[in-house]
Amino acid sequence: MSSQEKGQNTGQPTGARASRARIEGVKRRFELQNWIAAAVVFAVAFFLPMAPFVEGWMVGQAALVIVYIMAAQGVAILTGYTGLVTVGHGGFLAIGAYTAALLMKYFGTGLVVGMIAGGLVASVFGCLLGLLFLRLAGAFMAIGTLGFAFFIGTIVNNVPIFEGREGISLPRNHVLGLEIGDFGFYYVALIALAVITIFIWSLVRSGVGRAFKALRDSERAAESSGVNRLAFRTLAFSVSAFITGVAGALNGLIVNYVSAEVYADIWYSVDLLLAVVVGGSAMLMGPFVGGAFVVMIPFFFEELADFAFILKGVVLIMVLMFAPAGVVSLVARPVRALRRRKLVAAGDRLGQDDVSAQSSAASTGGDR
Amino acid sequence: MSHLRCEEVTVSFGGVVACDKISLDVEEGRIVGLIGPNGAGKTTLFNVLSRFQQQDSGHIHYRDQNVDAKKPHQMVNLGMARTFQNINLFAEQTTLENILIGAHHLLGNPFADMFSLPGARRNERKLTERAMEIAETLHLLDELDNPVKNLPYGNQKRVEFARALAAEPEMILLDEPVAGCNEEETGEIKNIVRQVNEEFGITIFLVEHDMSMVMDVCDYIYVINFGANLADGTPAEIQRDSDVISAYLGEEVA
Repeated sequence: MSSQEKGQNTGQPTGARASRARIEGVKRRFELQNWIAAAVVFAVAFFLPMAPFVEGWMVGQAALVIVYIMAAQGVAILTGYTGLVTVGHGGFLAIGAYTAALLMKYFGTGLVVGMIAGGLVASVFGCLLGLLFLRLAGAFMAIGTLGFAFFIGTIVNNVPIFEGREGISLPRNHVLGLEIGDFGFYYVALIALAVITIFIWSLVRSGVGRAFKALRDSERAAESSGVNRLAFRTLAFSVSAFITGVAGALNGLIVNYVSAEVYADIWYSVDLLLAVVVGGSAMLMGPFVGGAFVVMIPFFFEELADFAFILKGVVLIMVLMFAPAGVVSLVARPVRALRRRKLVAAGDRLGQDDVSAQSSAASTGGDR
Repeated sequence: MSHLRCEEVTVSFGGVVACDKISLDVEEGRIVGLIGPNGAGKTTLFNVLSRFQQQDSGHIHYRDQNVDAKKPHQMVNLGMARTFQNINLFAEQTTLENILIGAHHLLGNPFADMFSLPGARRNERKLTERAMEIAETLHLLDELDNPVKNLPYGNQKRVEFARALAAEPEMILLDEPVAGCNEEETGEIKNIVRQVNEEFGITIFLVEHDMSMVMDVCDYIYVINFGANLADGTPAEIQRDSDVISAYLGEEVA
């Protein structure tokens, strides 16, 4: 009893500080849980292709899924975190693919150089687009970016160096003298995906990520807090384009063939937007689910291409009606709510009034 | 010493003159209020001072530095933060994230920050620590992990204050801080305004409709009407001013 009175006498600030420290501890535990879950998923993805029942084509298909996830991650940075709807990321995918293909054809560069160069060239275009579209918002931004995709499509269709619909055929890839097959591509893609995912995870928690989200939620409040709209919009465009550009380079090199028939197709851009909307545009796992969805639907319904098309539309409508924050939110929301309850409980353990102090003391005993 | 001064600021929209040669001077360390009947041009002037609106003529000086060419986001660097009339928070984000955005201009190199380099991480820890201190002062510690859209109105108002304070400003502009507040919440805001002014030595300039708020907390008041200066003085002087009374109550009374 006397100790309880003492606790009360310390006054509210100290009590609030102490509960804050406990909350931080619980938060670190949640963080650790996230890392463990991510490590398990990565280990499964790493070792599964070695299982006896897995065939080469499956691994090749999986590599394409990863490429799509990465491309969608680029879209998520812009559309999900910064609030700028883009229907033009097929353009960045094309820039990445053609950069890597041309470098390989004329300079004999390999996979890694192609990916980095593809990302960099795409991000230069992203930067220009960010400056050009400074005053666009909402539907106007969507139309502007769509125009960009058409522009890139027209270029690759008509400028001779891109070889139009004939396309550029590439030799098989070599790394350190070893030819890379489906398995090699899969692992390169998997590692690139892991790196990019960790980068995005840290980005959205950083001050820069906060500025992106602030611009999304209220441009006025963001600007009055000192966020330079021009600079951070342009930065979001460049980062987003870089990631999608890397995905494009990987895509071109995996397929060994880059042609306007594929990359001038506006549906590529629409599919990427569809992927982040279905999966969840402002969720780390959103592009994973959405990217897999967009690649696997046509794969499963190869014979019924029209049906696949309709199915995509139906799923999109269902998602917008029942889970507007994306499919992943159906799982993430309850988990977050549960964790928030645990955080609140951790904060309340030394509640100020007697009743809650007693009841929380009881629950503390139960926990340990 | 003059902290924020505007000289003969004129703004017109089409043919309508919203501000007609308005001049005022906010002295350092004080709480200065701006009042006027509906449509007097208060909000327009407020937007000019926070640089969201460019004036047609006239000048703005911050600490005797001309800031006519500054953009809204540059004012924070000079030491000026603001709040909004209808709460303007980042609804989906937590209280902590909202407060931290206020410290945006203290981030340092965005590229180091983006890649979470060690220096940036140290800085982030420092900013978070500071944000928590502010949250403690404004009794928001329990709400730090809560998305602000879940908070009651009064708490959201305090988050806006906390965000402004996180910028470590020398001056805060408040746009109708007690609009939509009940009596209890108004009392709380009054206390916060006084606390911020006394403890942190921050100059306050506020636009307000609520007379009890203005008369209770302000050291000095400017009154504008139909876009022009009408009167200025201490609360006691303003309450006796016949021009002000007639502007608010109509000509017949005067």
